[in-house]
Amino acid sequence: MMISKEVEKILPLVQKPGKYTGGELNSIVKDKNGVDLRYAFCFPDSYEIGMSHLGIKILYSAANERNDVWCERVFAPWHDMEKAMRENGIPLYALESGDPLTDFDLIGFTLQYELSYTNVLNMLDLAGIPVRAKDRPDLTPIIVGGGPCVCNPEPMADFFDIFSLGDGEEVSDELFDLIIACKKEGTTKKEFLKRAAQIKGIYVPSLYDISYNDDGTVKAITPKETAPVKVTKRVVANLDKVHYPEKFIVPFVEVVHDRVVHEILRGCIRGCRFCQAGFIYRPIREKSADTINTQCQKLCHSTGYDEISLSSLSTSDYTHLEELMEKLLEWTEKEKVNIALPSLRVDNFSDKLMGYLSRVRRSGLTFAPEAGTQRLRDAINKNVTEEEMLSTARKSFSGGWTAVKLYFMLGLPTETYDDVAGIAELAQKVVNEFYNNPDKPKGKGVQVSISVASFVPKPFTPFQWEAQDTIDELIKKQNHLLSSVKTKKISVSYHKVNISFLEGVMARGDRKLCDVIETAWKKGCKFDSWDDSFLFETWLESFEECGVDPLFYTSRKRDYEEILPWDHLDYGIRKQFLISESKKAYENETTPHCRIKCAGCGSNMINGGECDAMRQSMV
Amino acid sequence: MRCVRVWFKKMGMSRYVSHLDLMRAMTRAVRRAEIPLWYTEGFNPHPYITFALPLSLGMESLYESMDMRIEGESTNEDIFNMLKGSMPPGIEIVSVENPFNDPKEITYGEFDIFFDCERKTDSVLALIEEMLSADELIVQKLGKKGRHKVMKDINLIDFIKSYRVGSLENRVKLTVILPAGSTTNVNPSLLADEIQKRAEEKLSYTIVRKKLLLENMELFR
Repeated sequence: MMISKEVEKILPLVQKPGKYTGGELNSIVKDKNGVDLRYAFCFPDSYEIGMSHLGIKILYSAANERNDVWCERVFAPWHDMEKAMRENGIPLYALESGDPLTDFDLIGFTLQYELSYTNVLNMLDLAGIPVRAKDRPDLTPIIVGGGPCVCNPEPMADFFDIFSLGDGEEVSDELFDLIIACKKEGTTKKEFLKRAAQIKGIYVPSLYDISYNDDGTVKAITPKETAPVKVTKRVVANLDKVHYPEKFIVPFVEVVHDRVVHEILRGCIRGCRFCQAGFIYRPIREKSADTINTQCQKLCHSTGYDEISLSSLSTSDYTHLEELMEKLLEWTEKEKVNIALPSLRVDNFSDKLMGYLSRVRRSGLTFAPEAGTQRLRDAINKNVTEEEMLSTARKSFSGGWTAVKLYFMLGLPTETYDDVAGIAELAQKVVNEFYNNPDKPKGKGVQVSISVASFVPKPFTPFQWEAQDTIDELIKKQNHLLSSVKTKKISVSYHKVNISFLEGVMARGDRKLCDVIETAWKKGCKFDSWDDSFLFETWLESFEECGVDPLFYTSRKRDYEEILPWDHLDYGIRKQFLISESKKAYENETTPHCRIKCAGCGSNMINGGECDAMRQSMV
Repeated sequence: MRCVRVWFKKMGMSRYVSHLDLMRAMTRAVRRAEIPLWYTEGFNPHPYITFALPLSLGMESLYESMDMRIEGESTNEDIFNMLKGSMPPGIEIVSVENPFNDPKEITYGEFDIFFDCERKTDSVLALIEEMLSADELIVQKLGKKGRHKVMKDINLIDFIKSYRVGSLENRVKLTVILPAGSTTNVNPSLLADEIQKRAEEKLSYTIVRKKLLLENMELFR
């Protein structure tokens, strides 16, 4: 890469300078004069996090397939690098060309979690770009946001020109074409936004007026000019036909997920009521075992990685998992490639799968019961029984595992202190299972780690109307859990509740939060998802200064009739379906998964009526 | 199973690749090249790849080596041809040889330190000559005292085996031989930093490791 002399001078002063040099294997360098559109794909977090993200790999590679587009990567520089850049007047630059962001036509941010919002502002500012869309009158650079958080992008609405809803693979092409055309015609930004709003899946926030009731709730969302009343997310119809990279960029610096990652299915059949991803990525679409196998082999050969991770929301729900494992093991054993299967469920963990897993390198086993009692698991529709969990634990111990990690949530709707104590009891039963097992590994103890997250209600889930537990309540529940654990064989770790609180505000926030985010950023908030960087007091000050009460967003139970800030965005899930799921939760009533019976969520309608789960349930 | 020594250069941006990162990058390069590696036979088989002497982060080198154990009948030339196209950016493979010396025999390193001057080089040349012809040049070095890390004063003059200094346009080149190896190690940046500190103008520098030498000053091969 062509980084400037100025950057070279500061590199010896910072930690891990390799994060800022570019030039990694398989990174793509083009002639900037030979392309019509320059696209900076920004991940608003550190290099190590961003380079682990699969979406950026897919979209980077897909964009660069085009001869008229050059897509480059940008990450948030860590505190030390930012300081050195600001002191030396170095603007934020892209890693492939070393050119400042102001040279780009399109700047895309992927919004993966709410706590990366301040980093977006900080990155724009570090590039010398005004953070508010209204202060950017020129056609370019156009700032676009994508990723799961744009299912309610309202807290960031003032900063972005456009948002891209749903799968990014296909809509990107249409967006590139439009920008190239507008550049050639020399149109105004206003004209571009008007035309962009006509692309399916593109949401132009400035073309919607939001009015509020006296109590602060949304009164009306009114589209202006020709903008659609509802913006519908984009869906890739067939995962076998959509672009998947044959090469991944291989970083020199060790990143969090330093391996080949393969997405084997998109969407989820389960419908756990707390899980946003389980709804917004519907309908379920599977990739064929042959496609996955070929693509994995190509990726291993082009990168030299010795590990493949088969990724999805629920990997054991992939219908051809055994066939796929057989195909993969044919060559991975010979080439000493390890296969990791994250996101396994306890209820369909077969002996055969266990056999495959013991043939690859052994790592820890992780399961997510999410709740401690059957009643609460039914209420959240986890659809896992205690017996299934214990039988899986038994299988794993017989298979030689001695460490099990269990994921739970605190603060779920309808949760009582008995449910909290139930977490410790369930963990204790897993410990007992180990000692009652005649096949247990000889001479070894067992370690059960409980990891507890705080539940945050999210848009497009049946719990989107719920009140979130207060910070005090969550701390009480954490303490109750700690006092319920009676043995050293069980270790407990949990998330910082302050961070979950802010996440809750942002997740269901509206445009009134834009001022708060800007204020907090100006006061120094950034990297909010990092415990060491999170400045909770500063956030509280910022809410106060802007006259916004954060509890309005977290602690208030909403009526089903209330207009929600994201009601003009359509993710395919019918509101009536979410309401009926919400009511069932209070009856502790479960909904069978999509292959047993279609629950009628409606998401297949945005995919031309197609849903892999429906097809499979008919066979 | 036999051992080969792969010689390579680490120049340009790859100087910001740390030793640990380099080991992982080279292991992946060897896998991409489909070299018939020998794997350890333990519970967790892994390839046997070692590096002669770690290079400091930020330093370039013309003389790096990596030893690896391979299986099969491939000649050194075969291995060279396989590796040639698989190196990560910034790493250039020079040759593949049979190891001659044990890396433990490495005693000295020869380094070029390039200073970029904003003004004339004369004053910098004079400064370096003055500093290096004195009896003492005391700098602080991070050393060990028992289990603790402490700053120690060392006299660099005692460690400099030999040096040459010259200039071209606005660059000053200082070639210096310093102890390098498993017993004594003096990082040339200690010297470069001290020169930078004492210079009247703002100097920036880069360091290139040119050779690794044995106790008798012969090349490590």
